[in-house]
Amino acid sequence: MTSEVIHREEFGDVAVLHILTNSVDAVSASAIEATATASAMRPITVLDFANVAFINSAGISALLKFVVSAKKSGYTLYAMNVTPHHQKVFKMVEMSRFMPPIEERDLAAYR
Amino acid sequence: MQRVLVNIPSVPIFERVIRASADEVGRALGFSAERIEDLKLAVSEAVNNAIDHGNQRQPGKLVEVVFALDSDKLEVHIRDEGDGVDHVDFSRKIVEDHNLDAGMHRGFGMYLISALVDDCEVSSSQSGTTLTLRLYRKDNDHDK
Repeated sequence: MTSEVIHREEFGDVAVLHILTNSVDAVSASAIEATATASAMRPITVLDFANVAFINSAGISALLKFVVSAKKSGYTLYAMNVTPHHQKVFKMVEMSRFMPPIEERDLAAYR
Repeated sequence: MQRVLVNIPSVPIFERVIRASADEVGRALGFSAERIEDLKLAVSEAVNNAIDHGNQRQPGKLVEVVFALDSDKLEVHIRDEGDGVDHVDFSRKIVEDHNLDAGMHRGFGMYLISALVDDCEVSSSQSGTTLTLRLYRKDNDHDK
């Protein structure tokens, strides 16, 4: 697994972290966790799941590192382009409380 | 009954092989796209559990997965070669503030399995643990 698991885009107070792997699982988890640093985030940080086809609990654990980093920094974390199935799973474990959905058009004002 | 048998070494990358097999089996049974995603996630959790906790990630130990298809259901048996377990906790687990603060970010797998399949059961001995998942065919599933 290379470190190119996330592509970072920044504008103003916003960082969009585009997840490049299509499987957020035990294999990709450590590379994803390694990017979950406060320096990679901005007051509004968006995780973009457009390329993600699969997430399991090992992947959720990795994503929770972003939740922890955002919380420590006082930043707000959002999820974008989440499939209906993954929305269901996020609701099951109440992940969506910590990473609510946001639409691409809602970011337009910050660009 | 038709059976599909897949054995993998206890290395996380090979969980993806089982997941791909679950996808194909679900399609063969005519499951809906959402049900196939449920199946893949439940099987993924069970296999990761067998790799991590059952076989302790020892590559020489195998995880055996059997997909047993019949007219009214799909059964998936996931067996490890570990030392067995006394108890499996399927209770609901959610992300909670105090767990985040304590660095406890894991433990959702068994809850997800129990919530995503129609029923599941565990049998365990000193020679390994088998988790059986069942998904019953529904009226809107169809043969392909």
